[in-house]
Amino acid sequence: MAEALGNGRFRVDGRLAYAVGEEQRTWVFIEGHTYVIEGDNRDGDAREHATDDLMALSAPMPATVVAITATPGQEVAAGDLLVMLEAMKMELPIRAARAGRVKALACREGELVQPGVPLVEME
Amino acid sequence: MSKALRRILIANRGEIAVRVIRACRELGIPSVAIYSDADARAPHVFLADVAVRIGPASPAESYLSMSVILDAARETGADAIHPGYGFLSENAKFASACAHAGITFIGPPAAVIERLGSKIAARAIAREAGVPIVPGETPADQSTGAVAAAARRVGFPILLKPSAGGGGIGMKTIRDEQTLTAGIEQARREATAAFGDGTLYVERLIERPRHVEIQVLADNHENVLYLFERECSIQRRHQKVVEETPSPALTPALRRRMGEAAVALARAAGYRNAGTVEFLLEGTGDRASFYFLEVNTRLQVEHPVTERVTGVDLVHAQIAVAAGERLRWAQESLTQRGHAIEVRVYAEDPANHDLPQAGPLLLYREPSMPGIRIDSGAYDGGEVSVHYDPLIAKLIADGETREIARRRAIEALRNYPILGIRTNVSFLIDILEHPRFVSGDIDTRFLETEGKELRTRSAGSPPAEALEIASLLRSQSGGLSRRSGGSEVGAAKAEPWETLRGFRG
Repeated sequence: MAEALGNGRFRVDGRLAYAVGEEQRTWVFIEGHTYVIEGDNRDGDAREHATDDLMALSAPMPATVVAITATPGQEVAAGDLLVMLEAMKMELPIRAARAGRVKALACREGELVQPGVPLVEME
Repeated sequence: MSKALRRILIANRGEIAVRVIRACRELGIPSVAIYSDADARAPHVFLADVAVRIGPASPAESYLSMSVILDAARETGADAIHPGYGFLSENAKFASACAHAGITFIGPPAAVIERLGSKIAARAIAREAGVPIVPGETPADQSTGAVAAAARRVGFPILLKPSAGGGGIGMKTIRDEQTLTAGIEQARREATAAFGDGTLYVERLIERPRHVEIQVLADNHENVLYLFERECSIQRRHQKVVEETPSPALTPALRRRMGEAAVALARAAGYRNAGTVEFLLEGTGDRASFYFLEVNTRLQVEHPVTERVTGVDLVHAQIAVAAGERLRWAQESLTQRGHAIEVRVYAEDPANHDLPQAGPLLLYREPSMPGIRIDSGAYDGGEVSVHYDPLIAKLIADGETREIARRRAIEALRNYPILGIRTNVSFLIDILEHPRFVSGDIDTRFLETEGKELRTRSAGSPPAEALEIASLLRSQSGGLSRRSGGSEVGAAKAEPWETLRGFRG
């Protein structure tokens, strides 16, 4: 049983943990490990699911598209580079999470893209 | 010829601005902070005696704007500028502009920064000083074809480096002909984006080397000292993640040879103030070979480990040297006492190609325990801005032995909750617990060869305890939050961090 100790602190299984909620997810820290539990915080029932593959095909933060290597109709393998972004002084490769076919591109080179918006549609 | 500094402007932000401002306070010297709009509530702004807004969030219009920073110094009566690391710290034009404005630049003279900042000139100085160097060249013709030809002359595997660069940004390893053209083009793009100069340097890659660097200190009175080594082999994409001193690979004889080589090079370069001579080390023990890599003409991110074992405060020393004072130590009086390990806590996602993360620090608590020092510019309720680098904090553990320092670092990380943003905390613990790290058998490819296994470990699904806490938190806060948008992958509108409002359980 988990017990709230107040001020973001929790006791679970005799160990100290920390947690904080956002609208769509809960962050939990237990002894050096951080867990992000997705699910709407409005209702009581937890609807956890792993981070969607879509997430991997979108920018993690506002970023500039420096190169698009994917083309519509192309067959790609897991790990193939699809789009190269740049933010925080670094190149951020966006790679296919699994094998599939590129359906459409939703970004242009030079474009400033926002986080969470899909850059490539896969099928 | 010593003239006390009256007021120091710190031309930086984040943890290093906090570190330098604290040193000013310790020395009783008034300090001036500068800040961009993104940093208006940052800790360095409140710590300094005076804070000046210098512009919008974009670094080009704030922390990289020389004229604005010099104006801020004049307006506040600052007679010295400490540049920290990054930004303008290795910019010879800035050091020169300070000199022209009658402001003491806390670092080496502009001409020295310029010479050592050029890889060709730095190698020539090393050669002159009798310090071994790695084969390499900067092709005069920078076309992709000519750079490729230079790569073939130097011999695979090669390393492509931005000629104007530093800090590992934009470096690319190329192992064969197949990836050469694409690699050159990517390296050039990154070099242009980061430094406004796409000129590339081609170098032979030494296989399985260690990165071992020597801290030097030089005053204006011909005294040059070395403060021993820092082992920085745990790096990814040539950015350091874990640093320690002493290096598990050095013997007293090798340490002395490397230290003396660094001092010889610093003397040949006419070096002043604190600097770091980086070497690649092949092999271990007395028969190891070392090759000069480059000189960082500034305070290093990892300087605290040297401070922990030598007892020397490097920022105090920098300020004293800049004021014209003599170094207070003789080489023979310096010793390494115990062991220190630094880990860099980054806002990044180890499970997803180390992508840097920006976002709110919904919960942030620094551990406090024996043998732990934390240098940070982060605070509970603050944020990691998309505009700057993703370093949240440096955690430095020391102890009588390497093993105690290592265990202290792990224990501190296990008690360092940072929520609201993904970090590398669990990845750092996994590195520190890796058998090869425990035994000290590390090289600069450690994360490349062992990283994949470490990453899959940190990407596991949440255990039952975490789900229990999440359910408890949800049932407590039901109805408190409001849904924004309908996107399954989170907020998709502009300024997503503006729309994320955390609440506490």
